[in-house]
Amino acid sequence: MKVLVAVKLTYDINQLKFEKDGTPLLDACPRVMGEADKCAMEEAARIKDAGKAEEVVALTVGSSKEHQRILKDAYAMGATKAVAIKVNDPDNLSALTIATIIASFIKKTGPYDMILLGSGAGDTHSSVVGPMVASLLNMPLLANADRVKVEEDDITIVSTLEDGQYKFRSRTPAVVTVTSEANEPRIPTIRDILRSKKKPIDEISPEDLGVELSKVDLVDVKRYEVPRKRVKIDATDNVEEAVDQLIKALEQEGVI
Amino acid sequence: MVDFEFSEDEIRFRDSVREFAKRYIEPKWIEIDDQGKIPMELIKKIADQGLFAIPVPEEYGGMGGTMVMAALAVEEIAYHDPAVAIAVYTLLQNGWPLALALFGQEEAKMEILPKVASGDAFFGIGSTEPQGGSDVAGNKTVAKKVGDKWVISGEKAFISGVREIQELPEGGGFFLVAKTEKPGWSHTRITDFAVLPKWNGKIREEWKPTVYEEIGRHGLSTGGFTLENFEVDDKYRIGEVNKGFYLVLQGFNIARILVAAATIGSARWALDKAKEWLTTRKLFQGRPIASFEGVSFRYAELYTKVEAAKYFVYKAAWMTDNTYLTKSPRFKPQDLNLPVAMAKMMGPTTATEVYTEVLKWFGAYGYTKECSAHRGWLGTFSYTIGAEGAQNIMKYIIARDTLGSDAVRNVWVKEE
Repeated sequence: MKVLVAVKLTYDINQLKFEKDGTPLLDACPRVMGEADKCAMEEAARIKDAGKAEEVVALTVGSSKEHQRILKDAYAMGATKAVAIKVNDPDNLSALTIATIIASFIKKTGPYDMILLGSGAGDTHSSVVGPMVASLLNMPLLANADRVKVEEDDITIVSTLEDGQYKFRSRTPAVVTVTSEANEPRIPTIRDILRSKKKPIDEISPEDLGVELSKVDLVDVKRYEVPRKRVKIDATDNVEEAVDQLIKALEQEGVI
Repeated sequence: MVDFEFSEDEIRFRDSVREFAKRYIEPKWIEIDDQGKIPMELIKKIADQGLFAIPVPEEYGGMGGTMVMAALAVEEIAYHDPAVAIAVYTLLQNGWPLALALFGQEEAKMEILPKVASGDAFFGIGSTEPQGGSDVAGNKTVAKKVGDKWVISGEKAFISGVREIQELPEGGGFFLVAKTEKPGWSHTRITDFAVLPKWNGKIREEWKPTVYEEIGRHGLSTGGFTLENFEVDDKYRIGEVNKGFYLVLQGFNIARILVAAATIGSARWALDKAKEWLTTRKLFQGRPIASFEGVSFRYAELYTKVEAAKYFVYKAAWMTDNTYLTKSPRFKPQDLNLPVAMAKMMGPTTATEVYTEVLKWFGAYGYTKECSAHRGWLGTFSYTIGAEGAQNIMKYIIARDTLGSDAVRNVWVKEE
């Protein structure tokens, strides 16, 4: 089996801090491989560890030092090859452009039996790149996998939808998007880290793939905003009453 | 050119240890401190993550990393285990295995180090004796050569890992310091040995251990033991006969850096906890405690001291890498004495100072067992007393290496 994992350089949301008005302080936030992408990479590594895949190619759109770093992280987790797409401003490319680049890369270097992506990125979380890649390649899509099982040329996923859990099954080749619930990604050991730094990172430009960036739209993100609402419940005198109020407030918000 | 940045590999490694410690150590450190034991499966997990024998070459089962990486690992673990038991266990499994890798004989290194790296065996330091630890030349344990073997008898005290050796599947032992042939004060009649009281799962009867009860960092055992006619093959001799004093002091230098790294990791945790408290705890009509300069200025002083201690630690670790791993001709082992002593003096002293203040900032809550800061206080305090060198010995080294040995030597000792 040949597996491709597309990973994105995104903000480490665990370290993201906010201004008082809710504006995220992006410049001060370290960037890492997206959480769901890490889970996608982990699935690929497990498939390889189980002897079901010989080749795991990690791909990212962008070739800066930080992009190279997440590809080294992919190597440290088990990728056998890493490729960076040389573009100047990957953060301002639309989801469709990213999907077009990934699909073109797959067409040029494939065939792949399985294409894994995180279900959504930590920053934009549009969750559309995976479905777009599937559509562009005319491949089946298994979306938002909380669990992935691979048996020969057969992939089964479990996905949680609003009314319960569903099982979806497809023959390979297929595109699978993985949620951050799918697994607990491995933490590379010191040996993995030291070995990964010596591994090569191939660079390919969109032009090599036949994608003309000038003809596709560029997105300029002006501002990220997180809607926040603060509900105060006073638990000083009566804890039980406060608990009831809290439950009601959470119900109203549709959280429980 | 001066460069204060960690390399990309070091940052990636530090982040991996941070993630590991957050996932596997942080949820357990209080329970471990209460139960007085690091679970064997956690020791194995730390080993599987490659956090033992980090600076030991790969041919001996080590990770082929550096002392800077070992210090980063120990600091991160201590941040997530501020009581420092797990951090100190980890530092011992980096420092003394490196000393064995540097000075031991090939056969012993091939036999011992892979088992330490895999977490199946422990390898620590066996120097201190009941009469004291600072006066290494005054040690009374004696090793006599009988035929082609060494026979060692004596008593060691305040030794880390005495219980763990008994519990680990393979066992383990110590970088043990002994007087060659006869007792008496001498630094030219000391030989070091890799002494393995439990090896390949079997405990030797000539080794009689006891475990002490301590006031802090309960997860790691401290104890003592006697050796009675304990036979050791010559292959376990570390370095040349009668050169052991100089080798164990180099080992202490390596371990001291990591002790300091552990204490600053713990101190960083305490300052972060305090920051949360000082910026959210409000008194006097809604003022955060941090708005009082008596508090914020003290925080600023302590923050600066921890940062300063960090520089000492990483400079000393970087020098150690240059001395032993890349073998730069610019550095000699004795050049490490001064920077290491400064790091070891700064780390534990600063951590204890931080905790003493943080506990007060927490008010009466700080004095309760519910507030976990006391665990870090008791844990790091241990390293102001001793462990790889007492604070006064660090000061002696700093004074000697700056004022000159003739100026500071106030005790004139003669070889016996």
